[in-house]
Amino acid sequence: MNGLAAELNAVSKRYRYFLLDKVSLKLPEGQIMGLIGANGAGKSTTIRILMGLVHQDSGEVRVLGHRMPAGQIAAKRDIGFASEDMRLYDSMTLGWHMNFIRSIYPAWDAAYAQALLKRFSLRADQKIKGLSHGQRVKSTLLLVLARKPKLLVLDEPTTGLDPVARHEILRELTNVMADENRTILFSSHNTQDVEQISDVITFIDRGRIIDSMDKEIYLDRWRRLRLEVPLGTQLPALPGVIDVQQQGRLAVATANAFVPDLANAYENSGARVQCIQNMTLEEIFVANVEHSREEVEA
Amino acid sequence: MTGSIVTHLIRKDLRLHRLQILLTMAAGLVALAILRQTGEVPFVLGSTWFFVAIIVLGSMLPVSTIVNERKKQTLTFLMSLPLSSMQYTTAKLVSTLLMFLAPWLGLLLSAVVLIATRNPASFGIVPILLILASLPVVGFSLILATALVSESEGWAIAATIICNSSYGLVYYLISRTPSLTVNWTGHVAVWNAAVLRFLSAEVGVVAVIVGITFLLQSRKHDFI
Repeated sequence: MNGLAAELNAVSKRYRYFLLDKVSLKLPEGQIMGLIGANGAGKSTTIRILMGLVHQDSGEVRVLGHRMPAGQIAAKRDIGFASEDMRLYDSMTLGWHMNFIRSIYPAWDAAYAQALLKRFSLRADQKIKGLSHGQRVKSTLLLVLARKPKLLVLDEPTTGLDPVARHEILRELTNVMADENRTILFSSHNTQDVEQISDVITFIDRGRIIDSMDKEIYLDRWRRLRLEVPLGTQLPALPGVIDVQQQGRLAVATANAFVPDLANAYENSGARVQCIQNMTLEEIFVANVEHSREEVEA
Repeated sequence: MTGSIVTHLIRKDLRLHRLQILLTMAAGLVALAILRQTGEVPFVLGSTWFFVAIIVLGSMLPVSTIVNERKKQTLTFLMSLPLSSMQYTTAKLVSTLLMFLAPWLGLLLSAVVLIATRNPASFGIVPILLILASLPVVGFSLILATALVSESEGWAIAATIICNSSYGLVYYLISRTPSLTVNWTGHVAVWNAAVLRFLSAEVGVVAVIVGITFLLQSRKHDFI
């Protein structure tokens, strides 16, 4: 393996009303990557291609050293996959599911499974049909985690969960990463969840990867500058500023490559910098998507 | 991994649908108990129940094992396991055929035992019984293949309606074919050329359906 848990190279997949367009992605071992996109952006398609469940039309996919989809059997032995649309067998108990998975995965850790049962307040003898949504998600996650996968692929796992259940699941995922060889790919449209646990953030929109980098770099580079612009002053077009919204004498500039010199440049043009604000990941995501769409449409 | 993944999936299906199989066996055995009574009414009632039990199982199994797996979104859970789409297809074909053929064979053998224990034994009916009882196997294979390939509840229901509404017509045509029915009231089973041709055709059609199913499944690119 080349230090990458997963790699997509110029992967395309065309559906009637959707195109996944030359997606390239590198997921280094031992990292948590958050894949953020709006509904229908291509997160699930990307993940399904990565899992070998959907075959790409073109491009190359490698997961844990295996070419996909051809190597999916070997790859899936070391992948734990859970998605928002995944369901367990209603008429069976969680204990039956645990035995079923244990019979397939030799690395199943029974002690860890018992610990997770307790931590998630689940009962092995309870039938799945009697579980709440949150309990079902936790059950699925238990079945995935206790098989000790090298790569965890989670497609919108926290969708529809209450804040307590979300917190429990995110805390467990953070615990999992105590083992440095583990890697997680975590998709969501909830930027708060992704921001909480991810090392690397990838934004996807309309079937294209629009940005991918270290979370801290994102938070460090993106800034919002509130400016007071005297009448007759023309704001200069500065590198690293992707958007300027002006209403009368007030303007807001969004920078995706902020350096202190930007503020100086505005001051030198005659504007006054009222404040420089950090941006949340959600604000960065929205600004990034809007900028990307403007570029595509231009 | 202990045992192959296909075996695990087959065992899983047998466990999940054992009640359905047991109920079919029970219904079939009730039908045979009725058939033990002498007279036309028990014969008509018992033989109707006997075939209905087999036909209902053949119609329900593909829906509950394949269509519902997709509809209830447990397929994603299965496909996250280390298996390919062809292994899934193999497991589904084998488990569903097994779940149908086991009670089918059990009921058929019970019917033969019933015939043998009659005094005098009328083994002449056995060839036509086998021909008639094999038709639901053909229909079941078609419904199973449709469910697997189309992944659609609508198409599976359409195949079920077509098959189930065809049995009556085929049974009528068989009853009007002297070479198949000429010996059915005798004490000895006569396996003439017409009977063997019909049985071979039934086996052949099932084999072709299974073969085409594998071929079409192997060409699929998107599985979920």
